[in-house]
Amino acid sequence: MRLRTRSLLPGVVAAAVLAVGSTACTIKNSDEPAGGQVPTTARAGSGTAELADGSATKVALVPGGAHPYFQPWKTAGADARKTYRLGDVTFDETAEWDQQKQNNLLSTLAARGYNAFGVFGVSPTDINTTFADLKSQGFAVASLGSCPAGTTNEADFCLSTDVELAAYKAAKAAIDAMGGKGKIVHVTGNNVDANTQLRIKGVARAVKESGGKVQLLQTVTDIDKDLQTAQKAVSDLLAAKGKQIQGIVSTAYNPAVAAADAVRSSGSQAKVVAIDDDAKILSSIKQGTVTATVVQNPVGQAEVGAWALALLQTKQCTMRTPGQSVDSGSFVVTKDNITTYDSARQTKTDQLKKQFADEVLACS
Amino acid sequence: MPVAPPDGDTNTAEATASRPVHRLPFWVNQRLGLLVLIVSLSALFGVLRPAFLDERLVLFPLLRDISTLTVVALAQMVVLSVGHMNLAVGRMAAFGALFAGFGYDRLGLPLPLGLLLCLFAGAAIGALTGWIITRTGVSSFVVTLAMDFALLGLVSLLYSALTENAAFTTKPSGLAELRSYSLADICVGPVCGSPAVPQLAQFTVLALLGLGFLYACTRIGRELLLTGANPAAAELSGIPTGRRVILAHTLSGLLAALAGFMAAVSTGTFRASIGDDFMLPSFLGAVLGGTLLTGGVVSVLGVLLGTSLVGVIRKGLDLLGVGLESLNIYLGCVLLLALSADRVRTVLSYRKVVRST
Repeated sequence: MRLRTRSLLPGVVAAAVLAVGSTACTIKNSDEPAGGQVPTTARAGSGTAELADGSATKVALVPGGAHPYFQPWKTAGADARKTYRLGDVTFDETAEWDQQKQNNLLSTLAARGYNAFGVFGVSPTDINTTFADLKSQGFAVASLGSCPAGTTNEADFCLSTDVELAAYKAAKAAIDAMGGKGKIVHVTGNNVDANTQLRIKGVARAVKESGGKVQLLQTVTDIDKDLQTAQKAVSDLLAAKGKQIQGIVSTAYNPAVAAADAVRSSGSQAKVVAIDDDAKILSSIKQGTVTATVVQNPVGQAEVGAWALALLQTKQCTMRTPGQSVDSGSFVVTKDNITTYDSARQTKTDQLKKQFADEVLACS
Repeated sequence: MPVAPPDGDTNTAEATASRPVHRLPFWVNQRLGLLVLIVSLSALFGVLRPAFLDERLVLFPLLRDISTLTVVALAQMVVLSVGHMNLAVGRMAAFGALFAGFGYDRLGLPLPLGLLLCLFAGAAIGALTGWIITRTGVSSFVVTLAMDFALLGLVSLLYSALTENAAFTTKPSGLAELRSYSLADICVGPVCGSPAVPQLAQFTVLALLGLGFLYACTRIGRELLLTGANPAAAELSGIPTGRRVILAHTLSGLLAALAGFMAAVSTGTFRASIGDDFMLPSFLGAVLGGTLLTGGVVSVLGVLLGTSLVGVIRKGLDLLGVGLESLNIYLGCVLLLALSADRVRTVLSYRKVVRST
């Protein structure tokens, strides 16, 4: 038997690997600090949370992947750069909803000189490991838009919607619109995501508080992948159980848009409570096919997040309680306040900034 | 190291040597082409962005990624060698990782025992897949596709039932070290290794050596390739093709589970979404490296080089700050160029050989 394996290549590759390995050897030096950055002494600040000089701070805002929810981060980040005169603010959505890709992206951004990170972690159970890595290298890190699962947060702070509270508010709004009784369904995203579990808990809490008058007919998960999946799932649901359903609570973006469309086209009487302020959802609220929507505050997350990160990165401030979580706010929008909710959101953003300056940060 | 099935010629070296053999010029070698491409692209990226050569921030995560994806591609290569494919490679990774996580969280196993449990679970599910294929005669495409769906449901269901946050977050001692340690943490006297090479790569090296040995030096390896090249001829030659198919799928499951373990170690927890993105890179790495989709020819080293090429391109483009819209276009173009360059080399070399005869 003859094998065509007589090639010089394995030898060449082995030699190359050995060469690289030997040239890249390091000499052990026990005095070297573990992290890459030597801590500097605290800057003498003015005693307030006014950023003295943010020109050396380069902030990277990194969502878990492309999603309409994060689009306001792009403009809010650019505005923050101008307002606070930061060195740079970039928005990079190339993580493609994969934790490993996001980790790689973060280290690449660090290599490109970014030194403060606002991250929406792909996997809430894994992101603490990523945060700990970044912190150990001396970077300022914020968990934006979603907090790590569990009770600990390795980032400097977490600024996000309290997802359980937002889901509770949405379910409450639906129950109120139904007159306090009837059957509701909950449509949401990826079941094996810690945040989805929190949303399910929030809706269940609102249902429980009705004292048995409201029944949760079904929780449909895993339909936030894209609009088509959501549309199919919602139309199947209405076809099968349309007559029994008096309320639909959607705690994810695509199912919300799909539910608004489906109710409009099928003439169902179900009260829909959606999430976020997509133009389609807002017009459905004006027309009356969607009862309410729970909007979040991504602009506030990016704006306040970038500013607080700059204060931490320049060592002008430190966290009073490292890892503290702050609710960025969620607002129930109905026909009545559809024209004014944005100013409420801006007010919340201003309050957040004040809250950070007074209670969250300790500035020298 | 491209390994093809033997010619069926039992008169060994002397007979071959006496025949006029027109060996293709060395520069036609696909692996060499890949190596040259990887080195030149790395140099190009290094010049454009010196940060590309940053050991801790760029090379370490890049090599850790390549290590995991190489094992994924090896899992695909093993089944490709018998002319099959494994569409469930990602779910098998998730299935294996589930057992490792369960072992650490509920049984309190130490790190190596959890890994063994993970490998055993992967091998078992792979063997079951292989057994179904041989017993029913249904194509591997259909069976592994069905297995993919079955495992997708089963893994999600088990995580939901067993955990609160759909992930096992217990970290056995040694896991964090395995994740973040590099060769710089291994020292002989005052001289330590490179901080760019992750210790996680030891599993990849073991898998590469093991499979290299299997295909190049053992009878079973040659039988696997013959089964892939021509199942009927292999059967008539007395090769137990059914058992070889089961073996290939068992190995594929085992390697997929190993990749799942490595992915879990490098991100931090054992969760259901491990392996979601494994299927395409598994084919890409194997095929770029010279493994035939039709079976019978594999290249263990090629898998490493093919996966490395994709990793280097992606990392380089990331460093150049290419946006999401353009990144995949560039990636596609560069890969197409890599494959076309290979074809051009082959055509040129054949002309040269023809002219010389």
